[in-house]
Amino acid sequence: MTKRHLAALFLVLAMPAVALGVQAEIKLDDKLSSMKKQGHVGPVIYPHAKHEKLFKCNDCHPKIFKEKRSENNINMKANMDGKYCGSPNCHNSPKAFPLYECAKCHTGVK
Amino acid sequence: MKASSTCKFSRVALLSLVVFFGFAVTTPVKEAESATPAAKAKAKTEAAAPAKSEKGTAVEPKLDPSDPSSVIYLDTSGKPAGLGDPNKPPSMAFQAGRGWHPQALSAAGLPRDRYGLIDWAKIVREKIVSPRFSLNPQDEEMPPLQMNVLIPAKGDFVDDVIYPHEMHTYWLKCEACHPAIFVPAAGQNNMTMTGIVQGNWCGRCHGKVAFPLTDCKRCHSSPKKAAK
Repeated sequence: MTKRHLAALFLVLAMPAVALGVQAEIKLDDKLSSMKKQGHVGPVIYPHAKHEKLFKCNDCHPKIFKEKRSENNINMKANMDGKYCGSPNCHNSPKAFPLYECAKCHTGVK
Repeated sequence: MKASSTCKFSRVALLSLVVFFGFAVTTPVKEAESATPAAKAKAKTEAAAPAKSEKGTAVEPKLDPSDPSSVIYLDTSGKPAGLGDPNKPPSMAFQAGRGWHPQALSAAGLPRDRYGLIDWAKIVREKIVSPRFSLNPQDEEMPPLQMNVLIPAKGDFVDDVIYPHEMHTYWLKCEACHPAIFVPAAGQNNMTMTGIVQGNWCGRCHGKVAFPLTDCKRCHSSPKKAAK
């Protein structure tokens, strides 16, 4: 058993763990300059774990959200238009809390 | 034979005495017992009679059908039933008819928005209803104010709001909003969505009696030039 073998074994064992693993919270602060214009509106801390309990991965990926950072141009207009968070079965429907409840997603809202 | 007959006789006499005595004792008691409720009832009727006559004296003179406080317009508790108006039917059925009838409302086929709520603005624009300007026929009709106000959204991505005075002044008079809710000067109201959600500014009506805040694009309708 060489080091290579060990590394390969480790990868094989670790891969499913990564694939099924609980994602941590994702900080969405791409549009911080726009948020700052609105006064007390801070970045969104997206609770991935909360959504994992309710949905399967392919409910959202890759159709609604691409699985790469900065690939999704998430903004409130897009949400209102029924994209991203505001998809017709998500936060633009009675199934989830509505888009106007700013403080439920955005931090620092007064 | 004789002795036994006398014995029997004395026994019968004694028994009859006992019976008579018992009868004599119990009858007055029964009489007394039967007498008390009767007396009470009598007393009751006597007590009730003056009360009745009092009520009668209070209400009896008012039987005039043109008088709203007349007996015929009062309910059992003595309060004015219905509308207290002799020209309108003072019945519970009439009051029930003024209530909320979801089935009748849906059968009316009024236009609805995408949330299934009745679109009152569309109803006015399509002239499905044409309410009177005022209940007072002497009031002069004031045409709605034709003035759209552009309210720029603060963020870079959200569309600006076009506020139509026309639809609002159709239903409301100026004093309903100015100056208590909105300062009547452009840019002087620091409106925020969080404030609106908490029931300030637009949120005084929208989400309560007017269309809900979930309908973002009904207000945020003017595309932003700077939008990326």
